[in-house]
Amino acid sequence: MHINYWQIFKQNRVGIYGLAILFAILIFALCGPVFSPYFPQNTTTLTLDPPSLQHWLGTNDVGQDIFTRLLSGARTSLAVAVGTALLSTLLAVLIGITAALAGGITDRILMRFTDALLTIPVIVVVIMIAAYVRPGVLNLIIILSCLGWPVGARVIRAQAMTLKERYHIYAARVFGGGMLYIMFRHIVPDLLPLLCVSFIQGARRAVFMEAGLAFLGVTNPDMISWGMMLRHALEYCYLDAYKWWLLPTGFALSVTILAFSFLGYSLEEMTDPRLRRREDA
Amino acid sequence: MKRHAVAVSNYITAFIIIISLNFLLPRLMPGNPLQAIYGEEALIAMTPELKAELISRFGLDKSLCEQFFNYLMNLCQGDLGYSYYYNAPVFEVILGALPWTILLVGAALVLSTTLGAVLGVEAGWRRGRAGDKVLLAGLMVLNGFPDFFIGMLLLLIFGVMLNILPLSGAVSPYANLTGVALLWDIFKHLLLPLSALTLAGITGSFLLTRNTMIGVLRSPFVLTARAKGLSPAAIRYRHAGRNSLLPVVTRAGVMAGRMATGVLFVEMVFSYPGLGHLVNTALTARDYPVLQGVFLVITVSVLTINLFTDILYTRLDPRVSYAY
Repeated sequence: MHINYWQIFKQNRVGIYGLAILFAILIFALCGPVFSPYFPQNTTTLTLDPPSLQHWLGTNDVGQDIFTRLLSGARTSLAVAVGTALLSTLLAVLIGITAALAGGITDRILMRFTDALLTIPVIVVVIMIAAYVRPGVLNLIIILSCLGWPVGARVIRAQAMTLKERYHIYAARVFGGGMLYIMFRHIVPDLLPLLCVSFIQGARRAVFMEAGLAFLGVTNPDMISWGMMLRHALEYCYLDAYKWWLLPTGFALSVTILAFSFLGYSLEEMTDPRLRRREDA
Repeated sequence: MKRHAVAVSNYITAFIIIISLNFLLPRLMPGNPLQAIYGEEALIAMTPELKAELISRFGLDKSLCEQFFNYLMNLCQGDLGYSYYYNAPVFEVILGALPWTILLVGAALVLSTTLGAVLGVEAGWRRGRAGDKVLLAGLMVLNGFPDFFIGMLLLLIFGVMLNILPLSGAVSPYANLTGVALLWDIFKHLLLPLSALTLAGITGSFLLTRNTMIGVLRSPFVLTARAKGLSPAAIRYRHAGRNSLLPVVTRAGVMAGRMATGVLFVEMVFSYPGLGHLVNTALTARDYPVLQGVFLVITVSVLTINLFTDILYTRLDPRVSYAY
């Protein structure tokens, strides 16, 4: 367990790229108002205007500044990503570790349920729920987390199963440590690298699903999102506007997903010694 | 076998979850349950008599338990409800759209699996060399693109900029084509959505084949094949490649599941008249019966395919059954 992860991570170029891109997107998302003087909802009479000094990426069909909306979309994407990743990882930890520590019938029931959820095509279920709820950021995070935890729970349970046989856990139990105490004081710290992987992969899936749902038009229409921008831009794809409306939005979305994937791959490689890169792989 | 029983029980649990969700969602929504079950279109056509009839038919005045039993009985008879938007039973509406989706998903599944496997075998064979690195990096980047954005890019390049392929639909409207001309027309319309779906699915089978190939190439029988003096192509495909295909075949279920959801987005981009298009129209019109029907059809088919490949898995590779 005594591995300096940062030292290994630094040597992983793909991971560094991913982290750098995410950091850049985060800066853009947080400091949106610094970069643009407009409000994402404000409409003007200047419609479908090509890029200019006033409007870096032009305006859309109702005269909203596309660059401002792009920054707003980044905020939505990242908020959903981080929220979902946090909540689903927390659920995965609670369920995975409970199953591993409790064992017996609790373990069996929890894992049957996990396996059953794993076989369900998640996106389809999310679309169906969203069609009724029309979720905003908060509801979306809850829906995505409730369906997203099983992947992590399986991995975490497997790892916790081996951890719970360690002597320091036995010692803690003998001294009367409760399940929650052992979980968060002894097991979670050892699982940290694994949790990072689970977090990043959860975030990646959330970005993708949020965009997909918004693209289908089942999210709350007040929520400015890249997926929704793509949906609107597609309606005007026969005009030249796609060059500064559809393409930048699509690439912003793809780059974000890519950055999460890169970071995910490299973290996975670090935590799984079998995958740790030899110079050729 | 015990393994099969476990697998089947998982799918049955999943199926029950889906059915209950489908039943509960519209009934738990605040407001008028009739609207949530029938959609907005129904309320416009609603007369007091019809309303009374619908309430009694669906037992909305009865307890939730009785309603659920009612719902299950209707499902067993293949009754998925009635769409007031199309003015037709949901079952018929879905049946009309299903062939296009099956055509699209089937073709994309075959294409992406074959292409991914061939590229994977070649990349695994050249592990660490330039060809492998380019393929690996290229497909990884491709994997970051959401399927609907791949679709849009193809649409922009081939439909808008080059203007050589049709933008939407599955056949040219009012053209009254027959025979070969009709097939050609269908093919032209299919090409872009098919490419989008294939590109979106290719990375999975590529990575799987490549990684297995790398492992297989280390095994003794490959050394024997080399020692026998077989040509590299024969080793690559007849010996190593064939054995690298196993996980790809068994993962076909997962792939099919991913495609079944990817197709919804791709069809929407190209207005391809399959289930995805149906979902899109249903979402805008709030035509909930169709929406529920489509989701039931998709999840049930995905679950069935997964169960099927799960069982096939042990048949194809006896090694797995020892693991249980």
